[in-house]
Amino acid sequence: MNTITPRNRLLAAAKKLPVDRPPCICPGGMMNMVFQEIMEESNCPWPGAHTDPQKMAGLTFALNEAGGFENYGLPFCMTVEAEAMGATVNLGNLFFEPHVLESPLNSSAEADLLRPLDVDAGRARVVIDAIKLLKAAGTDVPIIGNLTGPVSTAGTLVDMSILLKEFRKKPAEAQRLMEYMVINLVKFGQAQIQAGADAICISEPSGTGEILGPQLFRDYTLKYINQLMDALDDAPVKIVHICGVLKSVYHIIPEFNCDVFSVDSIVGLDEIKKFIPNKAVMGNINTHALAVMPPEKIAKLTRYAISRGADIVAPACGLSTTTPLLNVQTMVRTTIAESESARRKSGE
Amino acid sequence: MRNKAELLKVLSDCVVGMEDEAVVEAAEEYIAAGYPAMEGILKGLADGMQRAAVLYEEEEYYIPELLICSDAMYNGLAVLRPHAENTDSQKKHRIVIGVVEGDTHDIGKNLVRIMLETAGYEIHDLGRDVALQKFVDKAIEIDADVVAMSSLMSTTMSGMAEVIKMLEEAGIRNRVKVIVGGAPVSLAYAQRIGADGYSANAIEAVKLVDRLMGADTSSLGIAT
Repeated sequence: MNTITPRNRLLAAAKKLPVDRPPCICPGGMMNMVFQEIMEESNCPWPGAHTDPQKMAGLTFALNEAGGFENYGLPFCMTVEAEAMGATVNLGNLFFEPHVLESPLNSSAEADLLRPLDVDAGRARVVIDAIKLLKAAGTDVPIIGNLTGPVSTAGTLVDMSILLKEFRKKPAEAQRLMEYMVINLVKFGQAQIQAGADAICISEPSGTGEILGPQLFRDYTLKYINQLMDALDDAPVKIVHICGVLKSVYHIIPEFNCDVFSVDSIVGLDEIKKFIPNKAVMGNINTHALAVMPPEKIAKLTRYAISRGADIVAPACGLSTTTPLLNVQTMVRTTIAESESARRKSGE
Repeated sequence: MRNKAELLKVLSDCVVGMEDEAVVEAAEEYIAAGYPAMEGILKGLADGMQRAAVLYEEEEYYIPELLICSDAMYNGLAVLRPHAENTDSQKKHRIVIGVVEGDTHDIGKNLVRIMLETAGYEIHDLGRDVALQKFVDKAIEIDADVVAMSSLMSTTMSGMAEVIKMLEEAGIRNRVKVIVGGAPVSLAYAQRIGADGYSANAIEAVKLVDRLMGADTSSLGIAT
């Protein structure tokens, strides 16, 4: 067991197979894993690292090398898909991640105006090329590719509040837009897997139970994430992250087609585990704490997450760019140490 | 012809029932019958929005429903407001609101704005992705009572702490109450950055502002 590689540990933990300890990862995408300190250290700063595959790969590689998370995770934002389909994006700076400035559609009825996502162009290609570079490096560190969830992507192509209203008032049009999202996200996801991604993580910051309520969560978030995941069946590991409080949709979570379910810091790991005994549960270290609290506190939060049954230890959301490297290192070190002490106690 | 009480109930029902088209007809009938517009706003439209808020708190309604209700309310207001007698003799509390720089998620902010407007506050909405200095400049310009900020991303939420520092530097921190919200924000975070209040949703935001203003809400604008 001592020789298990980070990749095999993640693959095993995701399938709920016996492992020496939980992996400590951060998937990337909406769950951004990088921050200024590592950007400066690696000389791969934002915004350049969003558009240059060498720098994108270099940045996530550097974080792992520095004793950070036990994975590579890219991209570092949730705008690649929307931009490829026609949204105008501000790439941000060293502090701010890229964000959509203008939605191209006034209504989901205008889905025909969107551009098909081209995996050989723009930042979609940057992501694919960066995955290839990481794969070519030949390390035993798992590569996690990311997709912005179908509801969240649609909600940047049409203003989110219009989309939410149309979910109720114009379901036929909204469903057509969502189907367009799935077709194009599948292309991007498949290209990531072919390039060498070991896991695909889909994050839904907008299509949440808190925002939609149980009925629309089932009709939109669940339905289209599952269509997407069904089409990405080649992904060795499938991760779904849903932001926010889940209470109103706990009963729906088991229906997600995924190996790993990742939760926000407000969700009790032991509570969600009761609903999904067959899935690995990932989470959920508070990202604000990671940004501002001393390492001792981070160690405590990490131990707590493990004690509550985290199969995979991860931040609860995307990291702030002001997060100190020491806190991420502490999270990883604590995961390793805590599991060793637990094993000693249980007499292994 | 329906009488006033019936029409007020229809107006309220249209808002809570998400009838964003039928509400226009009802409002027109109400005005045509010569009933007072302000009463139609208070006891019809605003009442419907309050009922929608209750349904939200009871988890019958979620965000899409609240958004359609507020469309219905605004559609009704567009008919009634031009006929409303001027009630601005009483100074309303002024609120500057916006989503901080780097972030374009504004549904929560918009709902807070709608609910505060419904409760009678004067809102100055800076929109989303707002340069931090703008919060300070606007607060000075309109002599604001409250600065309300939100951030939906953990990468941008520190901007709210910056604005609080900038309000201090501008020497007006003690003249305004600062309230914050947004998915990654918590009460503990609000306290840590020195905000005066936090609310988890738009309905709570109204209660929070009422409390901070020591409110006698009955004297404020369109509040019932």
